[in-house]
Amino acid sequence: MPKVIKTKTEFEGHVFEEYVVVEGEGLSAWEPQAPLKFVGQKTPRIDGPERVTGRALYTFDVQLPGMLYGKILRSPHPHAKIKKLDTRRAAKLPGVRAVLSYKNTPKISFRQGQTFVFDEIVRYVGDEVACVIADDEEIAEDALELIEVEYELLPFVLDPEEALQPHAPKVQLSGNLLNGKPDLYERGDLDQGFAQAGVIVEGAFKTQCALHNCMETHGSVALWEGDSLTIWDSTQHIFGVRAAAAQLLGLPLNKVRVIKKYMGGGFGSKNGLGKYTVIAALGAKMTGRPVKIMLDRHEENLAAGNRPATVQHLKIGAKHDGTLTALELRASVGAGAFCTWPPSVGGPARQLYLCPNVKTEQHTVFTNTGPLSAFRAPGYVEGTFALESLMDELARKLDIDPIELRLKNYTEIDQMTGRPYSTKGLREAYERGTKLFGWDLTPRSPSLKGRGGSPPTLGEGLGERFRRGFGMASQIWSGNGSPPAYALVKLNPDGTATVISGTQDIGTGTKTVLAQVAAEELDFPIEKISVEIGDTQLGPYAPLSAGSMTVASVGPAVRVAAHDARQQLLDIAAQVLEVPRESLTICDGLLSSSAIKEPVAVKDVLEKLENFMIIGRGAREPNPEDVTVNTFGVQFAEVAVDTETGEVKVERIVAVHDSGRVINPLTLSSQIEGGIIQGLGYALCEQRVVDKATGVVINGNLENYKLPTALDIPEIVFEMVDQPDPRANNLGVKGVGEPPIIPTAAAIANAVADAIGVRISELPITRDKVLKALKKE
Amino acid sequence: MATKAVRAKKLKVAIRGPGKTAIKLTVNGETHELLIEPRRTLLNALRKDLGLTGTKKACDEGTCGTCTVLLEGKPIYACMALAIECDGKSVETIESLSKDGQLHPIQRAFIAEDALQCGFCTPGQIMSVKALLDENPNPTLDDVKRVLSGNLCRCGAYPKLFQAALRAADLVRTGR
Amino acid sequence: MRTFEHVNAPDVQTAVALLGEASTEAIAGGTDLLGELKARLRSPQRLVNLKTLAGLQEISYSPKAGLRLGALVTLAEIERHPIIQERFPILAQAAASAATPQLRNMGTIGGNLCQKPRCWYYRNKLFECWLKGGDKCFAEDGENKYHAILGADRCHAVHPSDLAPALIALDATLRVVGPDLDGELSLEELYTKPTESRRQMTILGPGELITDIRVPIPKNGSRGVYLKTMERQSWSFALVSVAAQMNFAGERIADARVVLGGVAAIPWRARDSERILIGQRFSEGLAERAVEAAVAGAQPLRDNEYKVSLAKALVKRVIIDLCSTTD
Ligand SMILES: Cc1cc2nc3c(=O)[nH]c(=O)nc-3n(C[C@@H](O)[C@@H](O)[C@H](O)COP(=O)(O)OP(=O)(O)OC[C@H]3O[C@@H](n4cnc5c(N)ncnc54)[C@H](O)[C@@H]3O)c2cc1C
Ligand code: SF4
Ligand code: FES
Ligand code: FES
Repeated sequence: MPKVIKTKTEFEGHVFEEYVVVEGEGLSAWEPQAPLKFVGQKTPRIDGPERVTGRALYTFDVQLPGMLYGKILRSPHPHAKIKKLDTRRAAKLPGVRAVLSYKNTPKISFRQGQTFVFDEIVRYVGDEVACVIADDEEIAEDALELIEVEYELLPFVLDPEEALQPHAPKVQLSGNLLNGKPDLYERGDLDQGFAQAGVIVEGAFKTQCALHNCMETHGSVALWEGDSLTIWDSTQHIFGVRAAAAQLLGLPLNKVRVIKKYMGGGFGSKNGLGKYTVIAALGAKMTGRPVKIMLDRHEENLAAGNRPATVQHLKIGAKHDGTLTALELRASVGAGAFCTWPPSVGGPARQLYLCPNVKTEQHTVFTNTGPLSAFRAPGYVEGTFALESLMDELARKLDIDPIELRLKNYTEIDQMTGRPYSTKGLREAYERGTKLFGWDLTPRSPSLKGRGGSPPTLGEGLGERFRRGFGMASQIWSGNGSPPAYALVKLNPDGTATVISGTQDIGTGTKTVLAQVAAEELDFPIEKISVEIGDTQLGPYAPLSAGSMTVASVGPAVRVAAHDARQQLLDIAAQVLEVPRESLTICDGLLSSSAIKEPVAVKDVLEKLENFMIIGRGAREPNPEDVTVNTFGVQFAEVAVDTETGEVKVERIVAVHDSGRVINPLTLSSQIEGGIIQGLGYALCEQRVVDKATGVVINGNLENYKLPTALDIPEIVFEMVDQPDPRANNLGVKGVGEPPIIPTAAAIANAVADAIGVRISELPITRDKVLKALKKE
Repeated sequence: MATKAVRAKKLKVAIRGPGKTAIKLTVNGETHELLIEPRRTLLNALRKDLGLTGTKKACDEGTCGTCTVLLEGKPIYACMALAIECDGKSVETIESLSKDGQLHPIQRAFIAEDALQCGFCTPGQIMSVKALLDENPNPTLDDVKRVLSGNLCRCGAYPKLFQAALRAADLVRTGR
Repeated sequence: MRTFEHVNAPDVQTAVALLGEASTEAIAGGTDLLGELKARLRSPQRLVNLKTLAGLQEISYSPKAGLRLGALVTLAEIERHPIIQERFPILAQAAASAATPQLRNMGTIGGNLCQKPRCWYYRNKLFECWLKGGDKCFAEDGENKYHAILGADRCHAVHPSDLAPALIALDATLRVVGPDLDGELSLEELYTKPTESRRQMTILGPGELITDIRVPIPKNGSRGVYLKTMERQSWSFALVSVAAQMNFAGERIADARVVLGGVAAIPWRARDSERILIGQRFSEGLAERAVEAAVAGAQPLRDNEYKVSLAKALVKRVIIDLCSTTD
């Protein structure tokens, strides 16, 4: 019988209260030392062969008979009203099947009423104006040039601080400040905290706008069969897209099917429904043919989301022994034209260190630029850069080792709720990281100023013009996973098992991990397990693949479902084999009992039942209410700075993270390395550039938006604390997708400050900034 | 236009297009006749006209490497080549690697080392490694990094890509 | 890309004749041209494919005539050619530093020398900038971290080629064939600052083709180096690059050619630095003066002051490198 439970869930710094339905037996986590066969083993991806042969079908690869292509006309102006739109010439071009705009489509409200799918006001360069559906993409592009639009230009604002000025142009009618007020958090008494402080450090930190640049761009294919709509979508949340598409198109849920087999990266930018999906569906309806809309790289970088730029004024007060007494953060975040979900920049300041008096204030501001979206640990990457940079300054000022300072302010209590952490492996991470990196052996400069007397940290073997530096930074992030998440485990008559869930593998290895969990619980060989995900018609609900929560949400549900299937199998086998049920065990897919001589294959039992299929059901259990489940970690960076050319070369990153039990060390290591490499790009070279006079993104391509290449990769060494968290869930796992990107930029910035003796408080740390800083020195 | 055409005719050259024109393309050993506009890129010809969607497109302007194929044995970006200029030439794509259901050693090495996350850059990476090993069965780590310097991986699989390429070289050398 | 006709050029004469017609452009490797066509910056009605020109695909070398590169030789062929690596190392270094292995397999030397600027306003259809026939340079007061610091006038874009500075340092010459012209010129002469009436970076007129590049053999004991700074370790155009070739008479610098990339609309020959160096013995002070001379008159814009420091650092490094290596 399903049970309904009220529970609190946390997602990327926001807490929600909801009802969840729980079914299946509550299982407790495996003992830390339990001998496990599959969980904890390096397991190559079960869908590896598809991915390396080019057979894996991405949304971008879907080609249906009669399929048409859509191309979107986008606003060239940052803020304008469409006065006249004439699509007649475009519509007449041979090969053009339809031209969609606000004139011939229903007015569909989008982003909680902040805009429409086709709006008559455009609010950023790249905002959707019209869409041509044609036989091929080139023809659609030819037709876009024939659409005549007359715009009434409106005043625009690009900079968040300017947008807050009283007479600034209004991006949204409700005003430029999201929700009309800043997001405030306070505990203790800030003034008193600063009054108690022996030293106060403060600084303004700026982070850039970063672009996800998933290799597969955003896009969908829409197919109508009668009144049923099938959408192939490059999405991190098939059920979310189904719900939103059904609502906007006025369809019942059972008439919308969303499929995502493989996807080429999301990193948070594909968490929700895109306009292109709705437009593809409308176009397919209008033409009676399937329609595919994939954004091109330039559109992707205008309209598919970004990690917003922040300005953070941070102030820390501490006693002379390093004990924090007050922490104050005022942050502004440039949301772009629309925003329904602000990242939480103040998270690290509120949570990472023990501090009784804390105030964080965040202004999320609308501007006439492309809208933000979640980007791998949204808010926390930005917030950690500021916090950990300033902590480093504090350490220098107090002449305390940076790690010692952090240990001094270590907390076992989640200060937001007063609850203890279920497990916190950060102390161990510091210890292991210190050894792994050789932190104690590095000649870190005691003081940024007065370097004069101390020996310069010359780059060993690099020559005189190089200076070497060392830095570290820590990380906190939820990653706890939560209900609702459901799974089925089917046992087929031939002794194979199929795991089914409406989750998605966004490249993290979800399928493989779920197979490991099922194999463990069933005690079947892993080759006997297949995993079907990414289709709303197949699977029961699973949450979006974001917030580092997939394994910790769906994994436990799979385990429960596998357990249920196993129980049923034992019930059935006992009757078929006519042995006492208690005597039966399963090992490697074989049933044995003291009552029979030879073990019997599962197949031999199930085949007797005329195609009967065992179906186990499982749900994610609610999270514990008395503890907080978080992930933690630390990273160390070694850099060499060329003082003549300003080049920063990151030579080595060492990381130690606590994400609970490790299920698959192989795919996990990919997550860690990938997160660090994205953090490296964010630290050193990635930055969206908007022309201030026109609001145009002028580097919305991969030529000038610089991602790290194969030649930019430092040595990366990492370890996991690998302590199962028994309170977290029945697997003892916490998430790992986001944590590794969080401290990288801060660790690198701290190493650069160590190397050159000047703090660079604005990302990315490019040559021009380094050279300027060196001049100051 | 009219006078131009006359003059060009006088020069006795074959002018093709702007409409569709026939070309022959040998892809993975099989010769195909295609009808394409001169503006068709090799990438679109492979993906749309031949249905070989293993080769990806992430930028269409020579800045990502996901469209890497071998043209006459050399790695190129299929998005920056016109199909009409490949008329009569031979192209190798990711689809050519596994034979009779057997994965190529490079593919096995990629799986074993987990040299892929989302997998979207993977076909291009594999073709670059293929080009390297065809020419140099004994590459150093530096050789590997250089040959992969024209293939971006946003997921950051680089460390694993390096290991996979070296492991693949080993598998190929030892005939495994 | 908009539609176009396509012709395979059978020979140079025919190619030139075809290219003399309106709205016709040459395509070699296509790595630059297709970028422009895809962005719909231009829409020639016809492309003339040069890759079918036999005879322009070869690298030849003789101790007498020196090095001859057909215009269709790819950057990869240059990068890997044993004689170029040995006798003209800066050319091999410059080629190897450009773009990526795949682009180097496609891109030709002719196309490389004639490629269009990468200025982000130029490459974006939304900006009808001065170089494209408009009346405003958007970079001047706009986003200009990649732009010129030296000699700019109406246009602040830089010449993007890595090969051009190296070839100029090697004193290369070109053969250019056109509707009514067939002659040699030095590579340096190919480049010109765009002017009001001639908004392009080379002197080539319609239908004029580069057929060969000739590089004289450097004097015995001559040494060269190519240094390039980028925003990441590969796949980037130079922020600043320097190609330098010097030879020595005993302790003295007998000849020096120093050419900067990424700083001006043309590959920038630092003639004043050369004059300071020639005839002198190396000293810190000499290098210092040559470095200052290289950037004398620099007029950085809002975001590219750092290029002055970079140029100085690189010039200094090449001088020290070349003067301190011994054979
Ligand atoms: C992502 C990217 C990165 C790059 N990085 C670099 C870099 O780091 N360094 C660098 O130097 N370059 C770089 N390039 C530019 C690259 O296009 C050139 O290096 C290449 O050599 C151009 O040659 P092509 O044959 O492809 O030229 P094409 O595109 O075929 O031609 C370019 C232009 O030259 C004209 N042309 C071609 N051949 C001739 C000829 N023989 N005579 C007269 N005109 C001719 C064409 O009409 C066209 O206008 C990069 C390009 C891309 C796309
Ligand atoms: S620098 Fe030149 S190419 Fe760039 S915007 Fe100015 S005029 Fe145009
Ligand atoms: S799609 Fe060809 S390089 Fe990006
Ligand atoms: S694996 Fe995702 S881009 Fe390389």
